[in-house]
Amino acid sequence: MAKVKSQKSKAENRKSKVETQSPIRVNPKSKITNPKSPKSSVKSADSGFVPRVDTLIAGVHFDNPVLTASGTFGYGREFAHLIDLNLLGGIVVKGISAEPMPGNRPPRIYETESGMLNAIGLQNVGARKFLDEKLPFLRTLSTRCVVNVFGYSTEDYVRAIEILNAGEGIDAYELNISCPNTRCGGMVYGNDPKLTEEVVAAAKRAARFPLFVKLSPNVTDITVLARAAEAAGADALTMVNTFVGMAIDIETRTPRVSNVTAGLSGPAIKPVALRMVYQVARAVKIPIVGIGGIATAEDALEYIIAGARAVQVGTANFYAPETSLRVVEGIREFCRRKLTHLSDLVGSLRVPNGPGS
Amino acid sequence: MYDETVAVVENRPLTGGHFLLSVHSPRQAQATRPGQFAMVRLLGRSDVLLRRPMSIYDVKPVRPKVGGQRPPLQIIQLLYKIVGRGTRLMAGLMPGDKVGLLAPLGHGFFAEEYLSEAQKADEVLHVAGGIGIAALLLPAKDLARAGIRQRLLFGGRTKDDLVALDEFKPLVSSMTLATENGSRGHRGYVTQPLEAFLERNRNKKYLMMVCGPWPMLDASVKLAAKFGHRCLLSMENRMGCGLGVCLGCCIRVDGTGHGAYQRVCTEGPVFWSEKVIWEKENLPKT
Repeated sequence: MAKVKSQKSKAENRKSKVETQSPIRVNPKSKITNPKSPKSSVKSADSGFVPRVDTLIAGVHFDNPVLTASGTFGYGREFAHLIDLNLLGGIVVKGISAEPMPGNRPPRIYETESGMLNAIGLQNVGARKFLDEKLPFLRTLSTRCVVNVFGYSTEDYVRAIEILNAGEGIDAYELNISCPNTRCGGMVYGNDPKLTEEVVAAAKRAARFPLFVKLSPNVTDITVLARAAEAAGADALTMVNTFVGMAIDIETRTPRVSNVTAGLSGPAIKPVALRMVYQVARAVKIPIVGIGGIATAEDALEYIIAGARAVQVGTANFYAPETSLRVVEGIREFCRRKLTHLSDLVGSLRVPNGPGS
Repeated sequence: MYDETVAVVENRPLTGGHFLLSVHSPRQAQATRPGQFAMVRLLGRSDVLLRRPMSIYDVKPVRPKVGGQRPPLQIIQLLYKIVGRGTRLMAGLMPGDKVGLLAPLGHGFFAEEYLSEAQKADEVLHVAGGIGIAALLLPAKDLARAGIRQRLLFGGRTKDDLVALDEFKPLVSSMTLATENGSRGHRGYVTQPLEAFLERNRNKKYLMMVCGPWPMLDASVKLAAKFGHRCLLSMENRMGCGLGVCLGCCIRVDGTGHGAYQRVCTEGPVFWSEKVIWEKENLPKT
């Protein structure tokens, strides 16, 4: 049932991108549809207001603000027979490292109240195999492709990026400095502003495509890390990764997940992640991609009003693969009802008589 | 594989907290092959998020065969036991209720390969522990149609766990039962009569098809190796998606690097026993 809608448009974009190559990253498409256009621009007499829901992040133009989160959508193809992938704003692929990774010992997941714990351990095919076997399919889609990158050291991150730079069809990188489940892994970077600056700066120097940085929520003050990433050259922030949690089998007195601790995701984390997006939106100038427990358009709109310019749907992909498309439709419907474009909603929170953090 | 919202036809309570859930889903029923599974989603609940993986126990027409015409398959049956939050909620499903069903999933019992292996063997031994029985009915029917001789060895905690015997009876030449409390059949684990049987029939060649809890799988694999029989395991594990993307259901297999872990939902749920690396942490305790 795979539907291929606008292959052509992406192919054309690719062509122009090759011509303009880095360091110029502005997608030609964005000139045609600048989301910052005035509110009254598109109105039709009979059917009423036609809202614009496209969004521009770090020079990358997304047809709509809904992306699928890394680690919850494989390499895209796994969902091709379930939903029309071309209707997604973007796909963020499973975290890629320079070399293939086997991942953690099972058991790796456990369901909790309104959420799930996972400690997969970043099992992945490695950067070269990704380019050879996974990217060609993603290239056939009009949907934007963001590649999540991780490593154990600054050199690892840079090496992965250097390999991936050869990939045609990658629109941006998402630097994972926040995975809670790998030994001396990403989160070490995400907890320390100095290390964050170091790895982001090195990745930025190496990267041929715009760099999103995915932040960890497992910190005392996330604005400190957000500012560090911005100062080091991050083009955008994805926030947030999973919250470190755990669960215990009281019968055997053993942890439910072999890694003992694991990352909590799902609706359970939404209020906390939302608060972090709100705080950081006021602390940095670069765009924010909000993520954490989004399962409905209302969830996504909360993030957008708090300051996110796009959102990612994660855990919901596991149990309801159509969620992202429902979220897109719901956002469009909301904008129609409110006679507003998406860009006018971003960071539009009203705090009556309040201090607002 | 189809992702559908389907209606409950019947949710029949059996002994020992077991239920037989029948849903109306022609497309999924007709696509099902022996050994495949389904992911069940309870709709309208945000506290129980993930779908539950379950063997497809049987596929049936709405009404039995009348005259010579074979009616189309329209019903999927799932046999389950209440073990936690999700299955407790499932037990409350009523006819007409809707559930989400992603099915059929996994490659099942290797289609042609297991049939040819079964034909090479003198007999097929189905070895089931508890709810593991649910994975073996469809292959048993398939093998019976192909004229393969089969036996069932089935163990549970008590006699109430020994469900589905009536379904197996016409398909197998004998049924050996075991219960841990001795309420029916051999007192102890099913692997004990299995070992005795293999000992008595050292000159025969068997294809073993095994599904059950980890210690039983472990013991069965060791017996298969000791007596030199080929053995297929239908594995169970916690699953996040059933689609091959969450990598939550991986088990350790014979391989290195990225290939050291394989997904039960995609590369399985059936594996040749020699492929599985038998570590204690390979499966969660249930």
